[in-house]
Amino acid sequence: MAYAFLLDMSRCIGCEACVVACKSGNQLPVDRQYIKLIEHTSGTFPDLTGGFQNHRCYHCADATCVAVCPTGALFKEDGLTRLNRDACSGCGYCVQSCPYEVPVMSDGRSSKCDACASNVGAGGSPWCVTTCPAQALKYGDRDEILAEAKERVVALKDRYPKAQVYGETQAGGLGLILVLPDDPETLDIPADPPATPVVVDAWKEVVQPLSMGATVLAAAGAGVLGIIARRNHMAELREVDDKKKAGVTAGDSDTEEV
Amino acid sequence: MARVELEITRRQFLAAGVAGTALLGTGMGPGRSNMAMNYPDPPWFSQGDVVTTYNYCDMCPWKCGIAVQTVNGQVMKIDGNSLDPKSRGMLCGRGQAGVSFMNDPDRLQSPMIRTGERGEGKFREVSWEEALDYTAEKILAIKDTYGPEALAIFGHTTGDFWFTDYFAQAWGTPNAAKPSSSLCLSPRDEASTLTLGFPVGGHEPMDWDEIECITLIGSHIGEDSRNTVMQDFIESRSRGAQVIVVDPRFSSAAAKADHWLPIKPGTDTALLLAWINVLITEDRFDRSYIDEWATGLDELTTHIQEFTPEWAAGITDLSAEQIRTTARVMSDRLPQAAIMPGRHVTWYGNDSQRMRAVFILNSLLGVYGRHGGMYFNKSPFLDSYPHPPFAVTGSSGGCSAEPGEESAELPLGPTGKARADGARDTFLRGPTAMQELIDPMITDDPYRIAGLMIYGVNLLNSIPIPSRTIEALKKLDFVLAVDVLPQEHVAWADVVFPEATFLERYDELSTVPYKTPFIQMREPAVAPMYDTMPGWMMARELGLRVGLDAYFKWETIEEYLDIRLRSVGSSLEKMHDAGGVIIQEGKPYLDEFVADGESPFHTASGKIELSVAELAEAGLDAIPVYEPTEEPPDGYYRLLYGRNPLHTFAKTQNTPVLSDLSPENELWINEDEAAALGYVSGDKVWLENDNGDRSGPIAVKATQRIRKDAVFMAHGFGQNAEGLTLANGRGASDTKLMSRYKLDPISGGAGMRINFVRLVEGD
Repeated sequence: MAYAFLLDMSRCIGCEACVVACKSGNQLPVDRQYIKLIEHTSGTFPDLTGGFQNHRCYHCADATCVAVCPTGALFKEDGLTRLNRDACSGCGYCVQSCPYEVPVMSDGRSSKCDACASNVGAGGSPWCVTTCPAQALKYGDRDEILAEAKERVVALKDRYPKAQVYGETQAGGLGLILVLPDDPETLDIPADPPATPVVVDAWKEVVQPLSMGATVLAAAGAGVLGIIARRNHMAELREVDDKKKAGVTAGDSDTEEV
Repeated sequence: MARVELEITRRQFLAAGVAGTALLGTGMGPGRSNMAMNYPDPPWFSQGDVVTTYNYCDMCPWKCGIAVQTVNGQVMKIDGNSLDPKSRGMLCGRGQAGVSFMNDPDRLQSPMIRTGERGEGKFREVSWEEALDYTAEKILAIKDTYGPEALAIFGHTTGDFWFTDYFAQAWGTPNAAKPSSSLCLSPRDEASTLTLGFPVGGHEPMDWDEIECITLIGSHIGEDSRNTVMQDFIESRSRGAQVIVVDPRFSSAAAKADHWLPIKPGTDTALLLAWINVLITEDRFDRSYIDEWATGLDELTTHIQEFTPEWAAGITDLSAEQIRTTARVMSDRLPQAAIMPGRHVTWYGNDSQRMRAVFILNSLLGVYGRHGGMYFNKSPFLDSYPHPPFAVTGSSGGCSAEPGEESAELPLGPTGKARADGARDTFLRGPTAMQELIDPMITDDPYRIAGLMIYGVNLLNSIPIPSRTIEALKKLDFVLAVDVLPQEHVAWADVVFPEATFLERYDELSTVPYKTPFIQMREPAVAPMYDTMPGWMMARELGLRVGLDAYFKWETIEEYLDIRLRSVGSSLEKMHDAGGVIIQEGKPYLDEFVADGESPFHTASGKIELSVAELAEAGLDAIPVYEPTEEPPDGYYRLLYGRNPLHTFAKTQNTPVLSDLSPENELWINEDEAAALGYVSGDKVWLENDNGDRSGPIAVKATQRIRKDAVFMAHGFGQNAEGLTLANGRGASDTKLMSRYKLDPISGGAGMRINFVRLVEGD
């Protein structure tokens, strides 16, 4: 069975209860967090819209991080992207390649949301979901979550004409289904994240296990590096773009970590 | 689940004191061992039996019911208690950090007596016997010389009852005060009592389930992360309720609004009067409700004529059309349309009148006692523990004051002195005004206040003009600080009592006036860490040493609580087994009062008073008028302050988990203004007020989310306390930039949004 989160951004009010519940339930040390709220603002005073990006793992079905992980520390299970930190070698490929820029290095190892895997395994619900005072979060069977997201979007159309579901198809289908009041770009979420190229799958699933010759490895490795390079390039472009925008209309976009 | 049995007797605590002292200096808070490097293996809830204890959260004053999970004697996780009407199984970020608050390695660990000069922060660790005996000796000397009224008692947070209410009244001082009154709620509760005959009470009784239009004036739900309010606000809005937000800042709540009114700060009363004008002149109010339940409509109608939307537009920086439209949005949905009373309402010194305007508007919308409007709170039934009559009554009052407690005559202490805060003289009514007790400490006028006991109030980060407070601290004969942490003012104490946190102690029951009145319990999840003691035990031990034995007949707190619970057919054990909460029936709606032949409005007329004779008799406006607020001088901005969702006042900035996530506040300034000054987001600046007081450094947040005439910061940062290793010197303090306040002539509230700051380069 595939699990998924529902995250309804029309409800999230930015209180960060999820952030602390995650930290305390998973007993994360200082400087590690799996959820981060990032404030976004569009427009100029007083014609403004805004909200929070609830930045956390999207649990992609075609997870690039899993594809590039050389040790199997990252793996797919029950629709979730799981992480066994004990098996992580600290290579950082996942950090470099994630289209959503989610994993970060902490204590020399990858670190990201595991959907409270140990807790969910016991039949519970992720800590962030159970505590959310806005009830913006839900967790369950992905098909049911997706159906509910679609129903919610219909109900939101009066207030938010651009309301939409995000995550049905992106990256092969996400395990984090978003209900968005507006286009994903308004929360700095890519409308269509770059897919994992076939060459990476080859590198991971064929080349690595067979320990083929250095030439082949290098060629496949180049594919991985290619993704990383492209992602870095896209980030640069976006930065340039942001600066341009800032130059033309000051305050058009305002991003703030809270 | 089994319950943690923690019998704490007096004998045991004295014995435990020795063992506790032996642990000092190891520097080993259990919190550090909780911080696993990877996933705990197995996870904490599989490491042993999970023992659940029930409690009400002390991370903010909202008091959500919580279930505390303990494994092998270590508190592992806190969740909302699913049976509690306030938390409903959910909890905010601060509540989730309760374990971290308890495990803060900076906690006060032993009773201490001062060795250096006051303010130097030099102490020696002493036994509880010595600390208590010494304190008793000092306060008895004050009583002998000046009378019991010369001891002031300030208290805040959920254990304050034992000091500010129980001990103060038994001892006989009318000078007990809570910051939640005159530095926060007083104007709204006095205005409500004058208008409706009852205070708003601790919990704003919005009838969220059926409301169709919610208006917030400066209430920033989401940044103010009161759990229940966030739940209800989002649920109502998602159900389709319209949201009108009046705020100079595009707050998290404003981002959820259907109508955002970015009002010029200080002009809210003009907007409210114009809204009233629209409802009356367009005949859009609930006339039959007013005819039946209110007096003063004719006076109000005459009064309101000149306050048109066009008049208000020129004052508020809003358009007349915006004002008309939003008034119509409300009236189209009456009585399922209410203006939320707000909480921190001590803004400009005319605050009771502004709140009166809110309650008049709500009355015209017919909300009180109506489905989808505002219900009537009811207090739960629970007998007091029997005690002899108090030496003085009604010491502190505050948000829990019951209707009708205010009497014409102020209660007198045993030597015939009334409160020293100027009540009935400089202001009309309301609970003791904490900030008005500071001057008497310095001037001995109207009489000398020689001693101060401070329970859980962050004194120098809550009362405006902190330099004046320090002057008072220097002049006192005796200062006791009861706290969990070495807060800034603790350095000025003669004696320090370290308190056990809410997770380590039994406490008084929490009685919650609500739609369904309920009672919450607090039982310890673990024994007190270090050589700390619960507040109830300190108050009792002190009481036994100063001749108040008759008030402390009970041997253990369990006995005290069991006796109280007997009056509702329960006991500590039964209450625990029932899930930690006792829920009673309320009487929320008007039709229930009508059926009983009663009026819910406890005013002199038994009706809502749109015009208040008592105010006219005192030379004040019987119906609110708009009073202009002083404008910032050139180059200065009005200093606005508010909340951060992960922090409570100046209490949680040192809590490791919260500090990790939110270590400093930011200065919100309009992006164009910042650019003109040459600043971008992230630049560190200092703030200087027009009196030359400084605070900082603070990071600039250049944003379109705020007007150009004001700056904003979260309250509680910029503390200067060396013992707070995480909070010390982080961010800027709004309190330290308050060189003045304006007294509300009705409630004694301290209007604090009349301070102006400019951005300056660092020291």
